[in-house]
Amino acid sequence: MAMTRRCVLLMAAAAAFLPGGAAGNENGVMQAIAEFTGGATPLDGGVNLLIPEIADNGGAVPVRVEAAAARRIALFTDGNPYPGVAVFSLGRLASSAAAIRIRLAGSQTVIAVAELADGSYRQATRSIAVTVGGCA
Amino acid sequence: MAKPKPRVRLPKSISAGVPFTVKTRITHPMHTGLRHGSDGALVPRRIVNRFTVQFNSEVVMSAELEPAVSADPYIEFEMAVPESGELVFEWVDDDGSVYSLRKSIDVA
Repeated sequence: MAMTRRCVLLMAAAAAFLPGGAAGNENGVMQAIAEFTGGATPLDGGVNLLIPEIADNGGAVPVRVEAAAARRIALFTDGNPYPGVAVFSLGRLASSAAAIRIRLAGSQTVIAVAELADGSYRQATRSIAVTVGGCA
Repeated sequence: MAKPKPRVRLPKSISAGVPFTVKTRITHPMHTGLRHGSDGALVPRRIVNRFTVQFNSEVVMSAELEPAVSADPYIEFEMAVPESGELVFEWVDDDGSVYSLRKSIDVA
């Protein structure tokens, strides 16, 4: 993907101000998750979120998410301009997993939230260091 | 922009009831609407916002995509089929275009 110098500089500046550790809420990710769950707070566990610890290219970061008995799986980020990434709806024939490549504007936290068949919500959170932001 | 080209990869042989991996990709710039072009003007948002897979008219999976999905969206998932039939893949563009691809499956 073509990247302008301005974009790279902006992303680097933004990344410098990101807090480490727990997910922040600068881009409204908490509201986006609440919208997905209908207000329910997802419990930890039951979701396997596979992402690299360090991504050289934030423009295409491989992400795989697995959650047994999931009907829907949503991916969120706390450091991109918009919190949402993708929502997968899985039918009877599909297994409860999906993989996708995503853009990350800088080092941040990726959150996967799964809606299980019994209507409960589970989540997994992983932080990732991004060397060159992906202009998300 | 060149016309987006969808691609789907399935295993060579598929057995009824045995899960297999489906790899999909479509060439598409996925303009976020936040980036400036070489002329300094904002490049308008244009992404593939929806992806659906159907087997014999039954929805296998669907995905709502946001600008944070990489250019040339790559999506991989696993599924199983009870019988032979046809898989229909559809990608929906912001401009309303629908790009589709069909793959027939003959269970071994």
